[in-house]
Amino acid sequence: MEQNIMAPMPGLVARVVVAVGDKVEQGQEVAVINCMKTEIPVTADRSGTVRSILVKEWDELQVGDAMVAIDAA
Amino acid sequence: MKKLLVANRGEIALRIFKAARELGIKTVAVYSDADNGAPHMRAADEAIHIGKSPPPLSYLHIAGIMKAVAESGADAVHPGYGFLSENAAFAGAVEDAGTIWVGPSPGVIRDIESKSFCRNLGNRLGVPVTPGSIGNVTSLIEIEKLFAEHGPPLLLKLDKGGGGKGIQPIHHAAEIARIFESSMGIGKAAFGSSDVYVEKRIETPKHIEIQCLGDHYGNYVALGERECSVQRRFQKVVEEAPSPAVTREERERLCAWSVRILKEMGYRNAGTVEFIRSAEGRYYFMEVNARIQVEHPVTEMVTGIDLVQQQLRIAMGEPLQLRQEDIVIHGHAIEARIYAEDPSTFLPSPGTIGTITFPTLSKDTRLDHAMESGLAVSPFYDPMLAKLIARGEDRRQAIDRLDQALKQFTIEGIKTTIPLGTAVMASEAFRRGIFHTEMLAELLATRSS
Repeated sequence: MEQNIMAPMPGLVARVVVAVGDKVEQGQEVAVINCMKTEIPVTADRSGTVRSILVKEWDELQVGDAMVAIDAA
Repeated sequence: MKKLLVANRGEIALRIFKAARELGIKTVAVYSDADNGAPHMRAADEAIHIGKSPPPLSYLHIAGIMKAVAESGADAVHPGYGFLSENAAFAGAVEDAGTIWVGPSPGVIRDIESKSFCRNLGNRLGVPVTPGSIGNVTSLIEIEKLFAEHGPPLLLKLDKGGGGKGIQPIHHAAEIARIFESSMGIGKAAFGSSDVYVEKRIETPKHIEIQCLGDHYGNYVALGERECSVQRRFQKVVEEAPSPAVTREERERLCAWSVRILKEMGYRNAGTVEFIRSAEGRYYFMEVNARIQVEHPVTEMVTGIDLVQQQLRIAMGEPLQLRQEDIVIHGHAIEARIYAEDPSTFLPSPGTIGTITFPTLSKDTRLDHAMESGLAVSPFYDPMLAKLIARGEDRRQAIDRLDQALKQFTIEGIKTTIPLGTAVMASEAFRRGIFHTEMLAELLATRSS
């Protein structure tokens, strides 16, 4: 089942640290948001395999915007 | 100077516009998408859109700002603080366009980006620097030798780092290789330089800095110190002038050292020479900040000198009218920075500002800000909302006045660090003047336990 990992805070995409095909564990950092110059980690809320990356560096984010799609394990 | 473009936003843009207006200079604002309609845009004589909201596409975008310089016909650029203020390439682009750069020369900015350059200069001029490597370290053997000589904890630091980034402590000889590798990697990725150096960690230090001005003819004045020890995560929260820890003799020595350093560099315009003071009262030269600083108002409040006007006069080529004997410190001034952050977790709090109740201001209180009700505090930029400054005949009076003003100040709609300011004013350690850079962490730990 495909699931999206969403932005927990508004801000900018500082970086995405996983790639398509990577296996991720629940709680693992998948991306970093820059909000007012503070870096906030975005973690996977479940384990699975990265299906696609939905954002790129410096994209603007609102709370709940999808960032990384994973196929849940 | 007829028309000044300010390559910045928020309160510092307003502060610079005010100084320019008082000198009869026209002003140009630049703004991003997120700042369309912002107070700084409306406060200038004209405003030019420079790009999208993310800083790399607007306030950090040199070509875009240079286009705005050309379009507006501005003959001078003030960079403010942060953003491109200490960017040698930007300073160079401004000067190459035949425009006045309000700041030190691009060559000097480039030199002092290197902490090792500063350490070497200190050594050469007889100004103490922290024990450690002379210049950068290039081999494991060098670090191991320094570890044996100075003992733990050592700090491995990035030569071109900033904001505390990449600083790693070394406690054991066995971890040197791993830390050396990882520091070089962080430096390369974040600052494009893998140069690192080593220094002895000074425990529970105070941060003391000397404000200076230098003109284009080799004249310098030092305007005394500021103490900025109340910090969290390398961000200053409360600053004051003078420092309760610095004696008159120490002040004279620090000022003389600072002028010696800037003169040797060929530094011009406003600059700050930063020192740390150990618990034993030893001072070590750390670096030079090549910009007007956030906390400059405390110096203005106790000296009566408008530092931004001085910057503009110096940039226009006027010789410094101030002499060292003209600099007199009157009373004591303290500044509280107010951030859009949760005051206990320090997590950012973007949102829309609701009702603001401003404190009553007098000749001894000052509020620098660019806030208004209904304004969006965007996630794109620095979380600092305002600076509240109070002066008193003595430190106690300054604390009481700042405390009173903070208690009258409310900002609805977002979380702010106003309560943190009042907590610092109420703390015994701060009131007694016995505190260091770990103070805030200790204060928060006792409050939450």
